[in-house]
Amino acid sequence: MFLGVNDVPRDEPGRVFVLCNEAIVRAAIEADVKVVSAYPGSPTTEILDTFSSVAPKFDYRMEISVNEKVALETCAGASMAGLRSMTSMKSVGLNVASDAFYSLSYTGVIGGMVIVVADDPTAHSSQSEQDGRYFAMSSYIPMIEPSDPQEAMSMVKSAFELSERHGVPVIIRTTTRVSHQSGMADFGKIERKSFAKLAWDHHPGRFVTVAETARTFKLALLERTRKMEEEFDKSPLNIIKETGSDFGIITSGAGYNYAVDACSILGLTPSILKLGTTYPIPRKLIAGFLKRLKTVVIVEELSPYLELHVESIAREANPTIAIHGKRNGIFSEAFEYNTNIVVDGIATTFGVQKTINYSAILDKAKELKNGLPNRYPTFCPGCPHRASLYALRQALKGVKHVVATDIGCYSLSILEPVNYGDTLLCMGACIGVASGIQYAVNEKVVAIIGDSTFYHAGIPGLINAVHHGDDFTLIILDNEVTAMTGQQPNPGSDVGAGGRPSKPMILENVIGGLGLEDITIVDPYDLKNAVVAMKDALTRKGPNVIISRRACALHSDRQKRRKGEVIRSNEVAKEICKKPYTCIRNFDCPAISINDNDRKAEISEELCDRCDVCAKICPFASIHLREVE
Amino acid sequence: MEKGVFSIYMAGVGGQGLVLLSNVIGSACAKAGIRALTGEQHGLSQRSGSINVHMRIGQNIRSPLIPIGGADVLLSLEALEALRYVEYLQQGGVVLMNSRIQHPIAETALHVKDKSATYFSVDEVRNRLSQVTDKIAIIDALALGRDAGNPMTENIIMLGALSVIEAFPVPEKSIRESIAENVPKKAVDANLKAFEQGKGHAYEHLCNVIKCRK
Repeated sequence: MFLGVNDVPRDEPGRVFVLCNEAIVRAAIEADVKVVSAYPGSPTTEILDTFSSVAPKFDYRMEISVNEKVALETCAGASMAGLRSMTSMKSVGLNVASDAFYSLSYTGVIGGMVIVVADDPTAHSSQSEQDGRYFAMSSYIPMIEPSDPQEAMSMVKSAFELSERHGVPVIIRTTTRVSHQSGMADFGKIERKSFAKLAWDHHPGRFVTVAETARTFKLALLERTRKMEEEFDKSPLNIIKETGSDFGIITSGAGYNYAVDACSILGLTPSILKLGTTYPIPRKLIAGFLKRLKTVVIVEELSPYLELHVESIAREANPTIAIHGKRNGIFSEAFEYNTNIVVDGIATTFGVQKTINYSAILDKAKELKNGLPNRYPTFCPGCPHRASLYALRQALKGVKHVVATDIGCYSLSILEPVNYGDTLLCMGACIGVASGIQYAVNEKVVAIIGDSTFYHAGIPGLINAVHHGDDFTLIILDNEVTAMTGQQPNPGSDVGAGGRPSKPMILENVIGGLGLEDITIVDPYDLKNAVVAMKDALTRKGPNVIISRRACALHSDRQKRRKGEVIRSNEVAKEICKKPYTCIRNFDCPAISINDNDRKAEISEELCDRCDVCAKICPFASIHLREVE
Repeated sequence: MEKGVFSIYMAGVGGQGLVLLSNVIGSACAKAGIRALTGEQHGLSQRSGSINVHMRIGQNIRSPLIPIGGADVLLSLEALEALRYVEYLQQGGVVLMNSRIQHPIAETALHVKDKSATYFSVDEVRNRLSQVTDKIAIIDALALGRDAGNPMTENIIMLGALSVIEAFPVPEKSIRESIAENVPKKAVDANLKAFEQGKGHAYEHLCNVIKCRK
């Protein structure tokens, strides 16, 4: 949990140091949001976490949803009826939700509806660097972009009002460096109306989009968009800092932060247009800004979205203006920016002398780091995935096989030094991909998915495989929670948002209900039996399922600590250890290392979680419970 | 390079409490009426991977990210991670480094294959960093944390050491209040003790390396 959580529900207004995602929640609460539904995904997860942890204090209805599409639909339904709602999702989450999203632009809503979408430049924790701004443009749904927690607060409130004024959901678009930025924000008063159900306003067809109604809706939404553009041309969400310079910058979101700091480092004072509304694009406002300039630099991450708009506006407004950005190679379309990248870009544009040579520093750093070992994220000590994958690899020893994996902590198996896994596309894809691979090759095909991802997007794939008799084995790693994003409850949990009781799905019943009878359940901590049972199942014709069931170590540690249990650790009996390194090969636990002097394995008291699986692997039985003084 | 800005680049390994540390400092800034910004890592990066937090303190800053060569202090909860982010340190900036090393699994896997290989050491890190700065303070935060009654307080031990730096702009009183409000209730005493331990250790051993508050 994050600390601002202590502040988010507080009654008194005032200035706090808060994570942007928490500021978004506070703003929604101040704006009297009534229905919240979301599926976790970095960098938006803390929105869901914060809503969930403060839920008992407020009366909004909240679901930690099965996936982003259902979450968006839940909010859509509530806002069609007239309540304010909010959903949040990462960039690729909107892909999942997009079917409902596009239609919702046609039907519109009555109660204010805000969709927070966070892109992840540099793909810190995503499968791609997808630029979500094109969703707004292609769906005609308006989009607002804050650059810090304070702006996020005021923009979320504006978004609810805008949504109700125009009867359309509004996107708050952030990027990782906005979502995961902590800074100062002024909390306002909390004045909420108590929750009351509304009467459905019966106008048959009001929210039905198909054929004839779709054509009517389309014309109406074009008109709505035109009106919003007019409004945005004068909106206080767009800020111009006019300095009289003939050099200007157009930017938004995180790019604005880097542009301001870069100019201060370079001692430049350009005029700056900071766009808060990035769809519809306020074309008149931009045209007016361009007219006074000789040169404009566009500072935006990912695609040249603003830049292409500026180019088209400049054709009429100022045809001779020089436009610098991605299209002339000043900036890259790959990876997130930072201040020094923007300093370099602006300095190149104007031939300004820099006081600091970044590439020389980077070269020197590269030399100093020669031989420094990589430290990629991996399974935590005690993680059942480590044991499951170890057992799977034992069971498949000597068997040529292909592994289609999926999105979750277990994706980390593809990183050094584990290096296990052949394909990964998106949530739930391993099952469909496995269906395809089994047609194409002779090797044994294995698909690996977590319980949360299976509920999210895996079930249709499995129905398809059962229906067609596709020959592969699906391994479901059932750790009770959505672990990767911070151990949120999922449909298998008996509690939901705010600790409210919920009905847990029984995974094997769900699968059995599809008519798939070959289900093997193992406990990965019971390593020997798990290997035997897996081996057996893997030799049978598919589709069949192996459920490897054991709670996420972080999740169960938290529960143990709450109960006052002490988590103990193992140690290596050095006099017995014969250095076979079986506890390291293909196991790769961060708690186990090799002593530089005697070359024997040793276990870190601080890191060990005592899953005891390493003790079961050791052929000399040299690993045992650490004796405490 | 940037006037009126104090930048701290924090590094460590997932699970060491880096975000808590930056939150304690940030909340202390809010109490003292000082503007602060952080760029944090959450999510995937936590799983025993390398993590970092950019922290900038100053009235006129916009970007939460520290530019290359812009950190006044490189504070690392794990020794290897100090070297991993050396490009952010100012020439002559301060390194506050925990002497603890958590051996990366990739390195251990190599040692299974190469029987003569030895782990990357604190001395090696110090030698390399010394090409950029002579202000390197190495602290056994795990041992000091155990003395304070809780080995999980390494982050606050390091904060104690940070707080003695003359140029660090946050008043000690705000930090103490912030610690009391932000760490788990039952760990407040141990954390306040850890803060004192870190401070005391720095005054005793590090003021020849770093310029200390009076």
